[in-house]
Amino acid sequence: MEEGYTSLPTSHLLGSVPAVIAEEKPSAGASQSLPANLQVFPPGNGGYIPPESPLGGEEQAANNWKGFCSLSSYTPYFNVDTDVVVDRIISSVYPMDEFSRKIDGSPDLYGPVWISATLVFMLAALGNYGTYLIRKRSEPNGDWEFDVSYVDWAACVVFGYAVAVPAAFYFLLQYFGLNANLVRLWCMWGYSLFVFIPASLFLVVPSEIFRWIIIILAGSASSWFVYLNLKVSTEGSDTRPLVVSALVLQFALALFIKIFFFS
Amino acid sequence: MSHSDTIPLHPSSQSDIDEIENLINADVHSVTVLPARPPSPPRVSIPISHSPSPLPPYQKVPPSASPPPVVPAVPAAAAAPAGSSRIGISSDAFGSPPDTLTEPVWDTVKRDLARIVSNLKLVVFPNPYREDPGRALRDWDLWGPFFFIVFLGLTLSWSASAKKSEVFAVAFAILAAGAIILTLNVLLLGGHIIFFQSLSLLGYCLFPLAIGALICMLEGNVIIKIVVVSITLAWSCWAAYPFMSAAVNPRRKALALYPVFLMYISVAFFIIAID
Repeated sequence: MEEGYTSLPTSHLLGSVPAVIAEEKPSAGASQSLPANLQVFPPGNGGYIPPESPLGGEEQAANNWKGFCSLSSYTPYFNVDTDVVVDRIISSVYPMDEFSRKIDGSPDLYGPVWISATLVFMLAALGNYGTYLIRKRSEPNGDWEFDVSYVDWAACVVFGYAVAVPAAFYFLLQYFGLNANLVRLWCMWGYSLFVFIPASLFLVVPSEIFRWIIIILAGSASSWFVYLNLKVSTEGSDTRPLVVSALVLQFALALFIKIFFFS
Repeated sequence: MSHSDTIPLHPSSQSDIDEIENLINADVHSVTVLPARPPSPPRVSIPISHSPSPLPPYQKVPPSASPPPVVPAVPAAAAAPAGSSRIGISSDAFGSPPDTLTEPVWDTVKRDLARIVSNLKLVVFPNPYREDPGRALRDWDLWGPFFFIVFLGLTLSWSASAKKSEVFAVAFAILAAGAIILTLNVLLLGGHIIFFQSLSLLGYCLFPLAIGALICMLEGNVIIKIVVVSITLAWSCWAAYPFMSAAVNPRRKALALYPVFLMYISVAFFIIAID
């Protein structure tokens, strides 16, 4: 079986150290040659724009874009450890200013994806459980059946919101001339949904007043989180209607969750 | 074998062929002939071993029953007995290929069923090889997962009192897409697994939940359902744990395991809630 390897074209190089050939990516222009502190042009729609002082690792991330279908081009966005994710989740619940600093270096997509998935499951499961409790209170011998359409609705609403709204804001911010990073927006909106997970646990209690209080609290916390972080990202005053509309949208999502799943 | 040739052979070729035929008909371990093409396992770098007790891979040559897509173009110089030939290393070059195309259907089905059972025993039941996840599913297949997913979907659909087809669709979609997404999740976190092996494993770990769903379909009491589903859920998670946790960096173990538990918990909830 060893014979196969001697027919490779580099077999004559065995034992010698091959010369390092500096590879220049021709498409990125002249700024490519100095790796240290220049902005690298984003390689595509979901490209990662490093902040003003990029670390060495982020240069690698931007240069490793191999296209939309290659898995390795998405790996930099999942480069987080358990404690990092837990830390970000905790700081998303308290709408203080620290979250932006935490994701400054490396926004991750792990949080948004799995927080959204958990929220879908929670809404579908607990929404059904809520209707079960209400049905048992009103007619103890009535029959209740599991409504599968809750799963479909939850999936469409949560994933649609988490994907489409940050993308829309990305395009709007670009239109207004502000430099926005799509992955950061996705990350931030994804983590903002975390508050609804414990809220949906409380929403099971079959008391209308209690449910409204809970959802107003959760909606306010989440909207305030989005507002603060968006303000940090934009830093401009004439995008105020944009930021306010983000706040309103988040609150609308909270109301929709209450009205559709828990009433 | 020379009777099938119409071209008269050079006398030296004839003696060569005779010599080779003698070697083939002799016992395997004395063969010194190098294979013309080394038999390459059809899957990604994992040699196939058919016995339920995993042997070190290179001791045992895969019997003729293993599916070889490597069909040599060399015509049969020696008529090897079909199906039971233990022609060793050089079967691809000299003998006829193992006859999985012309064997009876029952043989094929029996072979696949045996593989499913052996994989199941390795993955879901306690056995001494659990600590080494790479050995656990050397001989992965996707028939087992397919059966379990469809069975689970059908059971849930049968138990549902309304929207039966939607229940089946949701269950199937969650399980199938979930397995793929979970595997991608591990790969994105920088873990080292083989894509189809992981799909196979996640499918086999559904077996306890499938049993739980069957019991819940036959049993109506909610308390019993909750107890049964909790036990089978714990069993499924226990089965999937060593493989998933060994695949990633220890600091990201929870990140890789949480989605697996999420999927199994959502299926368990589905089983309880469907009535």
